[in-house]
Amino acid sequence: MKNQLKVLRAMRNWSQADLGEHLDVSRQAVNAIETGKYDPSLPLAFKISRLFELPIEEIFDDEHTGEHDA
Amino acid sequence: MTNIQESTMRDADQKTGGNIARNLWMMLSGVGIIMLLGVITGFLSQHNAQGGGALDLAGVAVLGAIAAAILILAFVIWKLFQQGKQSGEKVPRREKVYNRFLVGSFLFGGTTGLALALTGSFDAPETSLMSNAAMSPVLAIILSIAIGVILPAITLYWHRHAVDEQEETAYRLGALIAIYAFWFIAPVWWFLWRGGILPEVNGVTLYFITMFVALVVWFWKKYR
Repeated sequence: MKNQLKVLRAMRNWSQADLGEHLDVSRQAVNAIETGKYDPSLPLAFKISRLFELPIEEIFDDEHTGEHDA
Repeated sequence: MTNIQESTMRDADQKTGGNIARNLWMMLSGVGIIMLLGVITGFLSQHNAQGGGALDLAGVAVLGAIAAAILILAFVIWKLFQQGKQSGEKVPRREKVYNRFLVGSFLFGGTTGLALALTGSFDAPETSLMSNAAMSPVLAIILSIAIGVILPAITLYWHRHAVDEQEETAYRLGALIAIYAFWFIAPVWWFLWRGGILPEVNGVTLYFITMFVALVVWFWKKYR
């Protein structure tokens, strides 16, 4: 899943390890999320959302276009 | 959302590929050391089987070369470890504990393996990993408790205290693919044995194949 984590992190001048420390996850996990290789769980997504004070949908993009919505 | 460019990222974050390669080389060097220790013990066992006594010049040269290779690999591990420290990467407390546990297990396994090899236990049919020979009830009970009680307890603790959810996911996928590997490899081997193409199915080999598959998948999911 695409996301803005790398950009948000850069705005705070944090390294992946810094962000990992804030989220209580490893640097590898941060890297995997940033590169779209791993989608975080809902609890972790909420944690990220609270940390950056942004709604989840502004951080993560599921590329849903809404075309098939009723 | 923002116009911040990726070029503003801190250097440590651009070295992901380097970190993966570093971890992989450290692991491979460690495995290399264990294998070389195995070569030394095998060499000495053979020497003793042939009557023992003082080693000739060629024997000393072989042992010296292997010892030098072990020292080089140990130096590589130490150097790579230092590089990791100097990259400025912070390591969370849980990951430090995890790394220490890994190193401890590695040292314990290596020391035990070396002790077994030096005492010739691997050559004895009773304790050989690939043997179906009878063993004493006491040894059977000790090994059963170690594998059936102690190891599951350690494994349970290990999984409940994984570094993070990405690590847990890597474990789960590793276990899933490993059990699939077992389900598919075992019957195929069995059929090929019945067809006279392969030797008889060996449970211990299957056991190590599944462990190897789980390990490879875990490493790939965690560090790729």
